[in-house]
Amino acid sequence: MVRVRLERVSKRFGRVVALKEVTLEFEDGSFSALLGPSGSGKTTLLYLIAGIYKPSTGRIYFDDRDVTMLPPNKRNVGLVFQNYALYPHMTVYENIAFPLRLRKLPKRVIDEKVREVAKMLHIDSLLDRYPSQLSGGQQQRVAMARALVKEPDVLLLDEPLSNLDALLRVKIRAELKRLQRDIGITTIYVTHDQSEALALADKIVVIDSGVVQQVGTPEEVYNNPRNLFVAGFIGSPPANLLTGRVEKGSGCAIVAGQRVCPDLPISALLELLEEVIVAFRPEHARLDEAPGGAGMVSFEGEVYAVETLGRENIVTLMVDSVPVKVITPPDMMPREGSRMFIVVPVSKLKFFDPKTELNLEYLAGEHGETTGMQQRG
Amino acid sequence: MLSLRGLFSRREGRVEERRDVETVSVTRRTIVLSAILGAASLPLVLVYVLLVLTSFSKDVVTGVELLQGRGVEWTLANWAALLSGQLSTILPGTVTVNIYSAILNTLLIAFGVMVVVVVASTLAGYAFSRMRFPGRRGLMQFIILLHAFPGVALLIGVYMVYLWLLNAFFARAPGLRDAYVIAYTILARASLEIPMSIWLMKGFFDKIPWEVEWSALVDGASRLRVWWEILLPQVKPGIAALAIFSFLAGWEDFVYVYVFTYLGTGGRMFTLATLIEQLVSRIETAELPLAAAAGVLYLLPTLIFFILTQRLLLEAYAGGVKG
Repeated sequence: MVRVRLERVSKRFGRVVALKEVTLEFEDGSFSALLGPSGSGKTTLLYLIAGIYKPSTGRIYFDDRDVTMLPPNKRNVGLVFQNYALYPHMTVYENIAFPLRLRKLPKRVIDEKVREVAKMLHIDSLLDRYPSQLSGGQQQRVAMARALVKEPDVLLLDEPLSNLDALLRVKIRAELKRLQRDIGITTIYVTHDQSEALALADKIVVIDSGVVQQVGTPEEVYNNPRNLFVAGFIGSPPANLLTGRVEKGSGCAIVAGQRVCPDLPISALLELLEEVIVAFRPEHARLDEAPGGAGMVSFEGEVYAVETLGRENIVTLMVDSVPVKVITPPDMMPREGSRMFIVVPVSKLKFFDPKTELNLEYLAGEHGETTGMQQRG
Repeated sequence: MLSLRGLFSRREGRVEERRDVETVSVTRRTIVLSAILGAASLPLVLVYVLLVLTSFSKDVVTGVELLQGRGVEWTLANWAALLSGQLSTILPGTVTVNIYSAILNTLLIAFGVMVVVVVASTLAGYAFSRMRFPGRRGLMQFIILLHAFPGVALLIGVYMVYLWLLNAFFARAPGLRDAYVIAYTILARASLEIPMSIWLMKGFFDKIPWEVEWSALVDGASRLRVWWEILLPQVKPGIAALAIFSFLAGWEDFVYVYVFTYLGTGGRMFTLATLIEQLVSRIETAELPLAAAAGVLYLLPTLIFFILTQRLLLEAYAGGVKG
């Protein structure tokens, strides 16, 4: 097991910059998720760690060993691909044994290890089959077994669950989390599915356009997005965004006709701006016929649509012709076209600078530090 | 409404046929297709049947005598003469060739072409499919252009090189000279096959996802090992098809074989193709039943190959031709 460290790593494909100055650290034994939309560079980052791609600039370390220029076969990483990439002409047994065979281990040792890992992943009855005779879930396990059998220093998973059906995905997700805990292997998991990232990872790295947007625990990334991209990407539905005008001298902002007054130090930072974007999560708001009391802010809106999801309803309202979504209990069925108040605690509001798109809370924190560090492991 | 009802009631007597749009009734389709294809291939099949019959007959079997009920005079003389290397059944012992060396030469050339084509296009196909190098696109287009050149058009140039090399290095070494002739024929004939074969193999390599190759690299294999142990087994159908096609190309070739091995050695070296050419070159005096026997002998590997590998060839055609 190792700690993986990337230092100002960039990757260009011709003129396209896939990754820009990424500095990251993955602690020994941690489970991290690289989360981003397709084309964000998350898979490229994974392949850089695996050695399939070489960084255009920057360096990669496993513990203190510089592996930047090492070919993949010298890195001892386990990699599970989205399409599993099993060897179709080999049986399950031969697939799993392949990495060990390359290490020229004695047959007896190989056999022992293959059977052990197959048992752990509940595929010990499939060893004589060919990959084409397996279901998607079984293939996924074989790919996993092949990656784990060589006892890699780092386990890299590239959207390993995205080719499975929804039910199986949730089942394997829990198994995967348990497996990682039991083995304690440093694991980096690429996904575009935020629920997977939130459910599995100790740490989430949000990437967009080749730039790391935020690094944090699932709780941090969810509740305190570092910038507007993260706020708009994480959560289902994602955070609501409303634009407001700063009221100079008072440390308040006027948002959709409502006066919103945050505490220090946000209010001080607000003074430096002309406009501000206010964000809040759909589940942090509630709908009411009357405006809320102290410590609350109430935006009036017109009900546009009600989606019933069983466990909850999602109500979309128009506030100054901006759609705002609120999650309500299932028995709450407001009439379309009726006017209601969206009541949010002021403490749940997040404030963003529309120019830099940064969360003022982070700006406040980073003002205190002398370094302008963008990402903190 | 009434008329619709009538339509339905008329159907009631029949068993309801639940067929999707894309499903054509199997038996009917098979019968129709077999009839059409059978009729279309009948003349060809007939010609081959007559060829085989003629090789066992004293005179040419045209089929007319069979229809008229006249008997055919069956004989093994043609095969006996052929296998003892006599170029005439009428005047035995006058002109003889070593038939076994002709067969050996033909086999040597066919296997040689096969090996050269398979090795060259498997390597080049991999490179074109998997490696990014400057000029890759241009080179690929150039290869297609090469394929468009008919081999006969290149013959003069290729013959000049042949002569020059022969005179420069092998004129005074008779032992090496024959080896040179065979080797040159193999290389010249193989190079005609290689352009298309590279494209065929490239198509097969293209079908293997990159991830499989990367996966093997991450598992600890070197690039060469990945090629040998992971990729080659997956392009086996392509290699097999290529081997068959190129073997047959070498076996069936006439022009190159005639110019290099026959004319080039002053008529000393025979292959089956040039032998048949000798038998039928003067058609008015040719002993056609003997030529038919030689023709059947010449056909054998083609027949055997196609019977053994029908399914594989279909796969190659369906899968291999992909840019």
